[in-house]
Amino acid sequence: MSLELLLSIAFGGAFLTYFLGKISSKLRNGFAVLNALALVVVTAMFYGQNIEKPIHISFLNIPLILRMNMVSWFFAITIVGIGLLSIIYSLKYIENEKKLDYYYFTTLFINASMLGTVLCGDLVSFFIFWEMMSWSTYLLISYKGGDRALFAGMKYIIMSIIGSMAMLLGIISLYVNFGTLEITALAAHIQGASLSYILFILIMFSIAFIIINAFWPFHTWLPDAHAEAVSPFSSILSAVLVRKGMYGLYLFMYMILGLNVLNKLTFWGISFNGVFCWIGAITIIFAALTALLQNDSKRILAWSTVGQGGYMILGVAFATSLGMAGGTFHILNHCIYIGLLFFVAGAIEYRTGGIRDLNSLGGLIKKMPVTFTGAIIGISGLIGLPLTNGFVSKWLIYKTLILGGNPLLAFFAFLGTWGTILYGYKFIHNIFLGQLPEKFKDIEEVPFSMQFPIILLSVLVILFGVLPGLPLKMINSVDAYLGFESLQVTLGGIVSETGTLSTVNIFAALVFACFIIGLIFKVSRRSTKVDQYNSYAAGAAVPKDKYHYTVSFYNPLDRMIRPYLKDFVDAFYINFTEFIKNVCNTIRRIYTGYIGNYVMYIVLFLALLILVQLKWSVF
Amino acid sequence: MNIIEIILSPVIALLMGLFFLGLARKIMARIHWRYGPPIYQPIIDIIRLFSQKAMSHGFIFEMGIILSLAGSFLVILFLPIGIMCPLSTGGGLLVILYVMLLGPLGIALSGGEAANPNTSIGISRKFILALCYEVPLLLIILAVITHYNTISIVEIVNRQSMSGWSFGSLPLLLSGIAYLLILPAILGIRPFEVVGAAQEISSGPSVEYGGKYLAFNTIEHGLNEFIGIALFVNLFLGGGDLFGIFASFVDTVLESILGVIVFLVKMIIVFVIGLFINAVYPRFRIEQAVKYIWVWPTLLAFVGLIIVIIVH
Amino acid sequence: MDRNQIKKWFKSPAKMGHKYSLHAIYFCTGCGIIEIPPSITARWDAERFGVIPVATPRQANLFLITGYVSTKTLKAIIRTYEQMPEPKFTVGFGSCPINGGMYWDSYNTIKKLDKYIPVDGWIAGCMPRPEAVFVAVTHLWTLIDKDMANGYIKYREKYKYYRANQEKVFGTLDWPPLFS
Repeated sequence: MSLELLLSIAFGGAFLTYFLGKISSKLRNGFAVLNALALVVVTAMFYGQNIEKPIHISFLNIPLILRMNMVSWFFAITIVGIGLLSIIYSLKYIENEKKLDYYYFTTLFINASMLGTVLCGDLVSFFIFWEMMSWSTYLLISYKGGDRALFAGMKYIIMSIIGSMAMLLGIISLYVNFGTLEITALAAHIQGASLSYILFILIMFSIAFIIINAFWPFHTWLPDAHAEAVSPFSSILSAVLVRKGMYGLYLFMYMILGLNVLNKLTFWGISFNGVFCWIGAITIIFAALTALLQNDSKRILAWSTVGQGGYMILGVAFATSLGMAGGTFHILNHCIYIGLLFFVAGAIEYRTGGIRDLNSLGGLIKKMPVTFTGAIIGISGLIGLPLTNGFVSKWLIYKTLILGGNPLLAFFAFLGTWGTILYGYKFIHNIFLGQLPEKFKDIEEVPFSMQFPIILLSVLVILFGVLPGLPLKMINSVDAYLGFESLQVTLGGIVSETGTLSTVNIFAALVFACFIIGLIFKVSRRSTKVDQYNSYAAGAAVPKDKYHYTVSFYNPLDRMIRPYLKDFVDAFYINFTEFIKNVCNTIRRIYTGYIGNYVMYIVLFLALLILVQLKWSVF
Repeated sequence: MNIIEIILSPVIALLMGLFFLGLARKIMARIHWRYGPPIYQPIIDIIRLFSQKAMSHGFIFEMGIILSLAGSFLVILFLPIGIMCPLSTGGGLLVILYVMLLGPLGIALSGGEAANPNTSIGISRKFILALCYEVPLLLIILAVITHYNTISIVEIVNRQSMSGWSFGSLPLLLSGIAYLLILPAILGIRPFEVVGAAQEISSGPSVEYGGKYLAFNTIEHGLNEFIGIALFVNLFLGGGDLFGIFASFVDTVLESILGVIVFLVKMIIVFVIGLFINAVYPRFRIEQAVKYIWVWPTLLAFVGLIIVIIVH
Repeated sequence: MDRNQIKKWFKSPAKMGHKYSLHAIYFCTGCGIIEIPPSITARWDAERFGVIPVATPRQANLFLITGYVSTKTLKAIIRTYEQMPEPKFTVGFGSCPINGGMYWDSYNTIKKLDKYIPVDGWIAGCMPRPEAVFVAVTHLWTLIDKDMANGYIKYREKYKYYRANQEKVFGTLDWPPLFS
């Protein structure tokens, strides 16, 4: 089992799927699932190994290194896991579209290039895989075609390229200064560099990672991209692709620079980590409040992705062992429940014929109970109810913020939870609760291949919430690799000197309370079942399709905060783009197509040269 | 983690919750110059409700109520009543703040399946009100946590018995006043009674509840009032202790009983003050409530937090 | 009131519960509703009897038909009555539900309400004063004690009769039969 085998299965599988699709579609589907499954199995076999494998290509001066350690394994397992579930989900979801070979090829290719980014040991191969990931994502964001998908894709690719160019500048500067691009060698060399140079390099790289991870000033590509992409790909996008930015930050801030250098990076009382913490806090609040005002089911989830990223950077940039564990665990948790929620949104889209507008759905709990269970568990994880995995990671982050002496950041993080409750409930209520419209009377549950990822991810949410020891042991080793001390975890809780958290106790108490109350319930008189048209309407008949409150669900709050929540960053970017387009449009008018103008340009330029020569004798 | 404490705490909370509901009706009646029902009237109501044959709208309609009541009982297990606190090592104030979410969420889910827009409007108002009073409440709780440098509520109560009530200590005075200003919003009494407004939205989330569901809803209402006041008394009024006069009886059954009695007396005093405000004020609209809470109590709580940060 | 007799509570808590917790649905049928707010406010306090108005039929167990019943209101009354959970009690206020009262020869009112929903007791008057409301409540207690307030059981057993009468007034009804 070697790393090249893993990468060749990944990439080779992508290409082979495309060609198999020309033969038969069943063969292609089966092969895609098998390929993804093989990737999961092979990646799982690498657990706990520390490998570094240089590959020398003859025409390059520098070796390309593949490596595997705990951090890479952690990210890799999330990539291949969500990739497998997404392929299984899209078997039925996408079967009526055209260009299916292209879809499967691109999905597998994106998975492969993401896998490549986390398996790199030097910056050149990191950059190569990063670029491959960027442009292949563009292909799948604009897969559906049409104005809005193309616009979303264009926004994404331009911002991503800006980030990549900043990263390229950083890489070139590092090569010029230190002569090597291997990560372990760089980690040793950069300890001796001056602080301003380190700050410059860090800012260059951070631009790329902040753009991909969609923090506050650079988040504008995310809502459009998620809303317009196909649903199985939306889950990959928000679960793992945006977290490549977090992987990049881990790589740079902790594996190359290390904790002691970061602590020295303080200019005029503002530390680099502090700036990241505040960016995270602003992202949480802004995203949570903006998500309240959305009416599109996938746009709400997209803003939710933006907001949860703030929690991760709060934990990671706070640079304590609790915070690091909390941030890393939150990456895993978020990947699970946002993937689940996008699968749910896709299931609704599949059965209702593409409806994403929350104002026109309702009452689907009676027809799609499994999807509803997935949605309620996903939303509970997003909010962070106790007994879900979101609660454990948020508890760790809050604890470190409060005890680290920064209660203002803790306040923003807490407030984000309440914003999450509001838009999470709006999502559930407008789709599943309330009155069922007449046109959806005959909707059925989604087929099993779409239910399977939903059920599996829901089970994981509850399992990691009640027994957090299972993933926390793995996260402890991630922490230890990055140089932090590990937490003491038991199977059912966390023990630390400043207070313990025992989720098994809470689970047992809740089950016991539910049991007692359920017993009282059963003992009381049985109730009759009534349907939704037998409801209180002040003595009138319940009007069909009209007795449902969904439009502007939080209307009073909406009216109060909407003027303050205009996304002025987005408006600024769009105006700036318009301005540049106008400038370029004006410059374009040089090309008139009339040959006399071109002759005049040549003559005028020659005259200018002669004038310069006569006056200043340059040549 | 005593078995006796685990059984006794919820029972005390249940009885006190129902007592608060009855006391509210009696005192409001006396303020109106009429006699009012007997204090045990809610118990009669609940007996009657359990003997009625209700109508149910589906599975989540029933599960939601069970979940919300179980969640409220779970919070009771985390709150110290006097010196009884069954799950004191469970994670502190953070867990309390999060388990307190299960109550409204359960009612929201079950009311949603009732397919009645009055329920949806009531729940949207409830969540908006909760978002708006959480802003000063989080600032206040963070100020208290920073002042005592611990997240365990039992620890906070013990420290108050040694160094005086939080309400009287100078850094936390502004936070205490801000908490008193938002206490009606947390309890759902006038002027912030906008959620269960009987006249506007036909009693909001409980419009389709009858029989046993309404009985559980009434118990849930009583428990929520208990939890709201208990949190305030524990954080700011010293919990079940009266200036440390129990130092001589440490670790006896007498101390537990006296602690519980002192705690309940403090809760009754705070509740009666809240009832007097309830009797006098009309009901604010939700925009007015949000505008009020996000200006004055938030400002006071924010200044209180800054003062605590500066002092430490 | 025998509210304080503990033995009776233990023998049949349901009956005592229904007696001392009669929540009336606040359905303003006709002109008679003008006499209900005075009986709730401070001068004639109804809450000491345990009677308070509630907003929806699901929470109620007492239905006061105050005043005349036009055919349009009858539909709302039937729907509201069927939405109330059992056991439930109905009291007719004023002379109009009894025999048509002042509108005994109108084309648009219902003369005998008892044909369409079961009524447990009547109060004569046009309008009855609040003291009459309390006499009705205490009378209802006696009926509940003697198990004679069984309008809801009659509705369940003779539902075909009631439904036939309702259909005679309205033609076909747009809600399905409550009991099959």
